[in-house]
Amino acid sequence: MKKRILATLLSALLILSLAACGGGGAAEGGEGGEGGEGTTITIFNSKMEIQSQMEEMAAKYSEEKGVTVEVYYSSDTVAAHLSTRYASNEPYTLSMVDAKDVYALAAEHALDLSDQDWVKDTTQAITIDGKTYGFPVCVEARGIIYNADAIKNATGNDFDPTSIKTTEDFQALVDACKAGGMESPTGVMKEDWSLGAHFLAEVYEQQEDPDAFIAGIKDGSIVLADDPKFNAMMDTFDVLKDNNYAKDAAISAEREVTEQKLAEGEIAFMFGGNWDWSVINAYDYTENMGMMPVPNDSNDGTNEKLVGGGSKYFFIDSSENTSEAQQQAAKDFLNWLVYDEEGQDFVVNQCALVPAYSNITLAVADPLSASVKSYSDSGALVPNYNYLPDDHYAKIGASFQKYLAGEVDRAGFAQEITDYWATAEVGAH
Amino acid sequence: MKQNTLSYKVKQYLMFAGPGTILFLAVVIIPFLYGLYLTLTSWDGVSAVKPFVGFDNFAAAFSDVDYWHAMGRTVIYSAISVVLINVVAFALAYLVTKGIKGQNFFRAGFFVPNLIGGIVLGYIWKFVFNRAFVAIASAISGGSAPSLLSTTNGAMFCLILVSVWQYAGYMMLIYVAGFMSVSADVKEAAMIDGCNSSQAMWNVTIPLMRASFVQCIFLSITRCFVVYDVNLSLTNGEPFNSSVMAAMHVYNQAFTYKNYGLGQAEALILFIVCAVVGVTQVMIGKRGEVAA
Repeated sequence: MKKRILATLLSALLILSLAACGGGGAAEGGEGGEGGEGTTITIFNSKMEIQSQMEEMAAKYSEEKGVTVEVYYSSDTVAAHLSTRYASNEPYTLSMVDAKDVYALAAEHALDLSDQDWVKDTTQAITIDGKTYGFPVCVEARGIIYNADAIKNATGNDFDPTSIKTTEDFQALVDACKAGGMESPTGVMKEDWSLGAHFLAEVYEQQEDPDAFIAGIKDGSIVLADDPKFNAMMDTFDVLKDNNYAKDAAISAEREVTEQKLAEGEIAFMFGGNWDWSVINAYDYTENMGMMPVPNDSNDGTNEKLVGGGSKYFFIDSSENTSEAQQQAAKDFLNWLVYDEEGQDFVVNQCALVPAYSNITLAVADPLSASVKSYSDSGALVPNYNYLPDDHYAKIGASFQKYLAGEVDRAGFAQEITDYWATAEVGAH
Repeated sequence: MKQNTLSYKVKQYLMFAGPGTILFLAVVIIPFLYGLYLTLTSWDGVSAVKPFVGFDNFAAAFSDVDYWHAMGRTVIYSAISVVLINVVAFALAYLVTKGIKGQNFFRAGFFVPNLIGGIVLGYIWKFVFNRAFVAIASAISGGSAPSLLSTTNGAMFCLILVSVWQYAGYMMLIYVAGFMSVSADVKEAAMIDGCNSSQAMWNVTIPLMRASFVQCIFLSITRCFVVYDVNLSLTNGEPFNSSVMAAMHVYNQAFTYKNYGLGQAEALILFIVCAVVGVTQVMIGKRGEVAA
């Protein structure tokens, strides 16, 4: 009998402790309800290279503002990671995501930020149906990264990036580098995102109306293989491909090796973006590097512009799992990033990002970002096309890799892209 | 207390197997059923609504050319790997039960690859293929040799080689146990009856080890069919998506391309294929099993 009572008591205790856990969780969630002081906001960071800066900033911000900021990072696919948080009713107050994720998530999960001050100071915010949902974290752009010191060593002349506009100019410069003793002046990143999402996407983005262009490929009114922009870009790609230091093994060239050679001046050109600085600065880089538009034979001005724009967007969770106090604290945080000197310093100096806001005048430290900022300031950015389907980069990237390896010719490559678009649909926007 | 009443039996079951049953239900059965339900929706993995689409996903899965290419590749990869794994494992087991010097050391050594996780192992071999082999080949040929991983067949070869290296040691242990379970008496009797040693191996030892073969082949088939970790870290589907195995395609479909329902349907098909092959093999294998 005694034993039975003991057993009952024990199990009752166990159940109680379980119940207590559940209760505790609920209480914690409601904690932030009262006001600014004591509010906790969570931030999801999807930019791995600034995670330590984010954590330091969070500690400092928490201390100064009395709002506890917690920063999380995950290497998972952004959407997949967020979906687990939504499924468990624990969304982040602020989530840093890619542009396409904002379009996918905003309707259900994001708070309308149209009334915020920063909206007027940026051209890169994401607005859907007249409502602003996405806060651009920084500006990133793509183009040819060059090593001016390496070019000068080979050719003997100072390098002026604005002098290179057409494929012919570029070919001549590459030939001059070769004549000056540089064996193979270019490198090509074989990663599918670089080829498919970054290089080939420029063919769409540099069109006057990318939507119409893709619709044209779909309904057959545009034959990609005959498209002047496609051919102009591929001509330039051929120059990169034919002078690639890893020409015989292009498909197994490693990104780190390519960027190291570029940093140290063994090669002089590579297609990439200002985010590549985080790789380049790990090596013994020479001083004068920068970015220039991808040269191509066209007269629409695109060969004088980088392609890019806002990259990584914050949105604030709109569900009932995030209290109004938390939403307000999140809005304050975004304003701090744009208007507070410390916030600006954090974005520009500590994270080395190109700010997306016209009121921020701080100079950017790294040379690639400095190039991007100067193009961005003068309005010379072709906007990103953010509505490509999720499998575009992988499938077109694979086809592009075949082209890079010489397994298909240009006509075959154009055909594979056309075949892809026969069934693919661009994202809603 | 009566021991043959229903309530007594239920209590006994709950007491001993209850926690296990609950865990098994919670982490295997319920997710499996929920997964079945998701195959009938066009959920993208994120959104709050899961539109019901009936069997559309299965129709889409059957017409997904990339999926069937990946499946075909998986079958070829599995067939070659399973044969090689078992041949190598059997040979190793034979060597380390013959009583050679330091055989315990060799047993441990051959088993070690299995202790390294698939992801780490993939990265190590990637380095070996991309750097070490390339450096050696370049030195021999005098030019710059391409990496094995950069060609379609080469990548497949690398995957098979690494899998064999990884699993052979593990299967070897099972074969070692099999060798040990065959008593020396029967072998001796066979020799006295006039067998030479290879006849004794073929006609006495191997039939008595049938259980080990059934087990090893089953394990290697099921593991090869759902290979993902080595695939991810060694080739990541490259070059040009020609080394994407079925499991990787399913993952990409569900999470990268955000067709969760379709990915789930394809996963179910993969599961069924794998289960049918595995169960058939076990049934055939068990039929002729002999007990010593």
